[in-house]
Amino acid sequence: MSANGYTKEQVIEALHDIAGEMHNKMLKGDPPTMTLPVRTKQNISFDSKLGVYKYGKKRSTRDATSLGSARQLLRALHVTEFIEEMIEAGKSSTLREMYYISEGWGHGKFGSQNESNNLAEDLEIITKCMREDFKLRPEEDGARIIGNITFEERNRRGEWMRINCRDDVGDSGYGVPYNVELEKLRLVDHDVDFVMAIETGGMFDRLVENGFDESSRCALVHLKGQPARSTRRIIKRMNEEWNLPVLVFLDGDPWSYRIYASIAYGAIKTAHISEYLATPSAVYLGIRAGDIESYDLPADDLSSKDIQALNAELSDPRFADADWQEEIKLMLELGKKAEQQSLAKYGLDFVTDTYLPEKLAEILGR
Amino acid sequence: MSFGLWEDLKGVVAMVDAEKIASKQKQISISEFFEKNKHFLGFDTLQRAVITAVKEAVDNSLDACEEARILPTIKVEINKLKGDKLELICQDNGPGIPRDSVEHVFGKFLLGSRFHAIRQTRGQQGIGITGVVMYSQLTTGSKTHVISKIKSDSSAVHVDLGLDTRKNKATKSNEIRDVWFEDGEEVVNGLKIKTVMKAKYQRGRQSVHQYLRMTSIVNPHATIQLTVRDGDGEIIDHGHWIRTTEKLPRVVEEIKPHPHGIHLGQLQRMLKEADERKLTSFLRHNFSGVSMRAAKEILSRAELEESRTPVRIKANEAQALLDSFQEVKLLAPPTDCLSPIEEILIKKGLSKAIDSRFASTVTRKPTVSQGNPFQIEVGLVFGGDLAADGPIEVLRFANRVPLMYQQGGCLMTKALESVNWKQYGLDHPGGKGLPKGPAAVLIHLASTNVQFTSEAKEAVSDNVEVGEEIRRAMLEVGRGLKNHLKKSKQKKKAQEKFDLINIILPEISRKSSEMLGREEPDLSPVITRIMNAVFLEDEVSWDNDAKQNICSVTIYNYTARARAYTILAKWPEGEGVSMVENPRGGRKETNGLWAWRLDTLNPGESAEIRFTVEGLTKGDWNETDIFFRGNGDIIGANKIDEKLLDEMRKVEALAVAEAEHSRDKDIGSLERVLDRAEPMEPSPSVAVTTSGDNLNEDWFGMKDGGAE
Repeated sequence: MSANGYTKEQVIEALHDIAGEMHNKMLKGDPPTMTLPVRTKQNISFDSKLGVYKYGKKRSTRDATSLGSARQLLRALHVTEFIEEMIEAGKSSTLREMYYISEGWGHGKFGSQNESNNLAEDLEIITKCMREDFKLRPEEDGARIIGNITFEERNRRGEWMRINCRDDVGDSGYGVPYNVELEKLRLVDHDVDFVMAIETGGMFDRLVENGFDESSRCALVHLKGQPARSTRRIIKRMNEEWNLPVLVFLDGDPWSYRIYASIAYGAIKTAHISEYLATPSAVYLGIRAGDIESYDLPADDLSSKDIQALNAELSDPRFADADWQEEIKLMLELGKKAEQQSLAKYGLDFVTDTYLPEKLAEILGR
Repeated sequence: MSFGLWEDLKGVVAMVDAEKIASKQKQISISEFFEKNKHFLGFDTLQRAVITAVKEAVDNSLDACEEARILPTIKVEINKLKGDKLELICQDNGPGIPRDSVEHVFGKFLLGSRFHAIRQTRGQQGIGITGVVMYSQLTTGSKTHVISKIKSDSSAVHVDLGLDTRKNKATKSNEIRDVWFEDGEEVVNGLKIKTVMKAKYQRGRQSVHQYLRMTSIVNPHATIQLTVRDGDGEIIDHGHWIRTTEKLPRVVEEIKPHPHGIHLGQLQRMLKEADERKLTSFLRHNFSGVSMRAAKEILSRAELEESRTPVRIKANEAQALLDSFQEVKLLAPPTDCLSPIEEILIKKGLSKAIDSRFASTVTRKPTVSQGNPFQIEVGLVFGGDLAADGPIEVLRFANRVPLMYQQGGCLMTKALESVNWKQYGLDHPGGKGLPKGPAAVLIHLASTNVQFTSEAKEAVSDNVEVGEEIRRAMLEVGRGLKNHLKKSKQKKKAQEKFDLINIILPEISRKSSEMLGREEPDLSPVITRIMNAVFLEDEVSWDNDAKQNICSVTIYNYTARARAYTILAKWPEGEGVSMVENPRGGRKETNGLWAWRLDTLNPGESAEIRFTVEGLTKGDWNETDIFFRGNGDIIGANKIDEKLLDEMRKVEALAVAEAEHSRDKDIGSLERVLDRAEPMEPSPSVAVTTSGDNLNEDWFGMKDGGAE
């Protein structure tokens, strides 16, 4: 069983449909094709039923009339074969392992890891399966969590282990596994008021050292930059199953806006599974553009790439509402960006004694 | 190193003369002269001294071998000694020098007997080997040891040479006659010199190594070896450039100077030494391009009587004569006094020293500037081992002698830089300076009188005609490069398509069928849909056993319709080069262009045209151009430009007509010449044989490509 409830047989059948499309075309004397949704911001739209952004109706067809596309088609078949083998053998592999295994695929070999990651996503989108169904996992682990919450995780021997993320872990916290679905992870109990997701390891460690999780009764999640799927998924589960508010504490730059959007509304690349990953009620806490001025934070000038990114965000449907438009325009106007750790200008405790309490009062009314 | 050397000294002699005129009473000693002028004699620095010494020895060896029609094998050995001293050993397999001439050749700045005749030689650029003897003696007190063996003598001369600088004469010591052995074998003919001089060996762009490498490029007929050892006998640098051709450069004709290229001092000297009694015969006998009528006109303009005796002409009268030279229309000097390297040999020479993918060479027609015949040759190599970053390498040569210094100030470099290389596929930031990319350009100026910016003779001075010739040659090789790059790109694209339909598509078909447990589909309609074009692949390869080039052209019809084309291939037709096998027959279209007709190439079919060529050597021919006539495009070939082809045919027909004129005066029209030059041959067809009548009519009308 998987997140969307597909059986092994259904997963293989869905993959075979891709080969079927190619075969049917060739029978008709046409070049083989593979049809998939367009994966750009022009083709994501808000799904009001799910409260997240999903791919729209635009489809693109990859046909074997150019060498590049033909290779993609051949790769898709190789990957399908590989996934079938893993499903049969009860194994799984990392995306990186698959990239190296492709060395033996002749013309179907991947040119870069990026190509293999993208193709795995293509297959997910076409088949509506998830990567976990394909027995493929990312090589990087998920996030770390510290706080008074209790999970049960099934270990390699199939036994359920009970872990309290405050008492049973060291300073580095609980390591989130790549699969956080029900068959692997259960949310047992908690004694916190909210979840706070943090972009940088430095800030996460600062809050842990200052005992912020206990003093403010929260669970701290380290995002490690652009959060992995499992990180976004576990945040969503805590939000839904425990009904906890989610606050997102990031650097104050255009890239942080995108991290927030991927947590709250869904990422463009994974819009096909937004309903599993996105937490629409997540709140952006800071650093906000306005903080740079009101807290007089040490700031860097925006680079030309930053400005380009901000302008792109202005036309991104996820940032279409008035508040975001204002926030982005303010940053462009200031021409500055600031890191989370710039708060240290006022001392190591400033963030936990002053900045966060002020923000929490504003957002949660406490 | 032989009599050819005598001319070599004239440059220096001219300088000595000039000095003499300047200080009439004072007879300066030659060593003093050397000391004063060593910067432009090439002995100004310790690093340069060894290069100059090697240059004098090697240039003389090459000149001597050329004159004696011997394929040169030259060995250069440099051994480092203590205190900035080097031992230099140069050995050749040339004709040697007769015993009586040894001291003349090595010991004196001499006047040559043929002083007034001008000719393209290497040696005109240096001081000569005497300079080496003198430099060694001045810096280390060493004598120069010479071993010389001429074929007709039974033994070799072994002698130590020094210079009596006061008498301007060589001194001989320890002279013996003995058999000469090298590596256990008796030397039949050759020359070896061994000397010790104050000098420093250095590596890099200005080094003995680079000098010999460059020399070997423009002397593909020479084998040159370099070994450099440090004080412990350890080899620290070496090079071995083996000859790539057995063909010696042709013997150059001497010509008389042309009035447009002469200076006052030279004219005065010629007048002084003239045997003629009258000015008219003086002008006609000592200059080229002067007819009787021209001589009379020159003299009347100069207001000199025809019967005046040349030796009695005064300085102001000589000036008047010189002025009137410029006013009278004269015949151009003959140009057969030049010895170009020739395109194929430039290619071979470059391949000897540089590993590259592509070479484009051009030898321009000889032409004249200010009375001096000259000829420009350019070679461009691209790709392979050449470094892709940084400016291209420029290899400059004057009369087959490398120019290693003052690159920026040289006319050759300036002409190179004036070309817009961007349009020929090289990176040329701002269109200024040297272009960048994995390329090297060779420029060779052959002339009876190379004009340098200074006596150092390292940079060719500005000259509009020479500069323009170089630029035009550059444009020609540039076009070659552009074609090559375009072709490579096309080839890559075609290769991708072939991979797609021959490897990837069948694999997609096999895998998807297997996975689904279905039958494999018929791919031919799919291939037609994907390609929807006619492709052509060509390859020129070398059969080492048969010593033949094989040219193979394959045409694939991946369209839904039958096609018909005439395919034309360029091949290096020329003297001694002929087609051996050509099973499809076809016919000669014009010189160097052969044509085959392909009727009815059905969808999905391919056809091969294959022919072999004899008379070339490996590396002479690596790439061909393919053209076609017919409807629709062919990827990998260009549509023939009929206008250009007509021009080519006319030029060729005229040449044939001229050649036949004496034998056959009854030639009526051009068409008839053409008919004779290009006999009809039965044209092969791919599938269907066409009737002969049809074929002839079709051939020039070119309505083919039908079948649709």
